[in-house]
Amino acid sequence: MIAAGACKGWESACYDHQRSGTDEGARVMTPRTTLSFELKNDLSELSTLCENLERMGEELGIARRSLFEINLALDELFTNIISYGFADQSEHTIRVRISSENNLLTLVLEDDGIPFNPVGSPPAELPCTLEECKVGGLGIHLVRNLMDEVAYSRSGDKNVLTLKKVIEKS
Amino acid sequence: MEIIEEKRGHLSTFKLQGRLDSNTSQEFEKRIFDAMSDGTKNVVIDFKDLDYISSAGLRVILKATKALKREDGKILLCAMQDYVKEVFEIAGFDSFLPIVPTLDDALKSI
Repeated sequence: MIAAGACKGWESACYDHQRSGTDEGARVMTPRTTLSFELKNDLSELSTLCENLERMGEELGIARRSLFEINLALDELFTNIISYGFADQSEHTIRVRISSENNLLTLVLEDDGIPFNPVGSPPAELPCTLEECKVGGLGIHLVRNLMDEVAYSRSGDKNVLTLKKVIEKS
Repeated sequence: MEIIEEKRGHLSTFKLQGRLDSNTSQEFEKRIFDAMSDGTKNVVIDFKDLDYISSAGLRVILKATKALKREDGKILLCAMQDYVKEVFEIAGFDSFLPIVPTLDDALKSI
C-alpha cells in the first residue's frame, strides 16, 4: 500500500503506480472506476446525466453542493459538445467515466465528434454590466470555476475532456 | 420544469419549479417573450422551487432583462436557493440583476 502521504492530490505520478494483488514488486495504483455511462447527443439526456450523478452521490456520500457543482459542469460541457461538436445529424454517444480516489474525483468525457475543444475559448470578462455582458463563454467560465482542473486532448478520433475536482463528503 | 405564470396588469410573475437548463430554457424564453408581446412590462421571477440553473437559464434571463429595459420595464428575481444564487454570483450576474430574498420583497419593489 502506498503510504498516505506519498500521493498528493492529482499528480499524475500517482496514477502510474499500480498495486497488483499478488506481485508486490509491481507497485502501481489505479483509481477506482466508480461510474461509467453513456449519453446520446440530445439535450433530453441531461436528466439521465442528473440521475446517474445522484446515484453516484449517494454511493460515495458526496455533499449536495459538490454534486450540484459536478452536475452543472458536466451539463455545460455536454451542452456545448452536442451544440458544436458534431457536423452531422446522426446520433452520437458521449461517454462519461468517473473515478474516485478518496476525495478526488476524476471525470472523463469522451465523444467522437469533430475536433472540438469546449474549453478552448478565452475566459469571459468579468465583472460585466448588463450592456456589456458577453454570454459567449459563460458556460466555460462556470466549468473552470466549479472544477479544480480542466484539460482537453484529442486522442485518435475522439475528443477527451478530463476534469478533476476535490469533493466534499456529506 | 414547471412554469406557473400570474399576470396582474403589466406585471407578470413567473414561478419556476424544477430545473432550468439548456433543455428547458427555450420554453421559459417563449413564455417570457409571449408575456411581453401581450403587454407585460415588469417581471418577477420566483425561484423558490427552482433547484438548479445552468448558463442557458442565465442567458434567457439576461435576454429578457435587456428587452424589458428597452421598454423601461423592470425585472426582479427572488427567493433563490443557495446553490442557484451562487451560479448567478459566479457568473457575475448579481452585480446588475436585482436579486431579493422573498417574493414579498419583489412585489413591494416592483
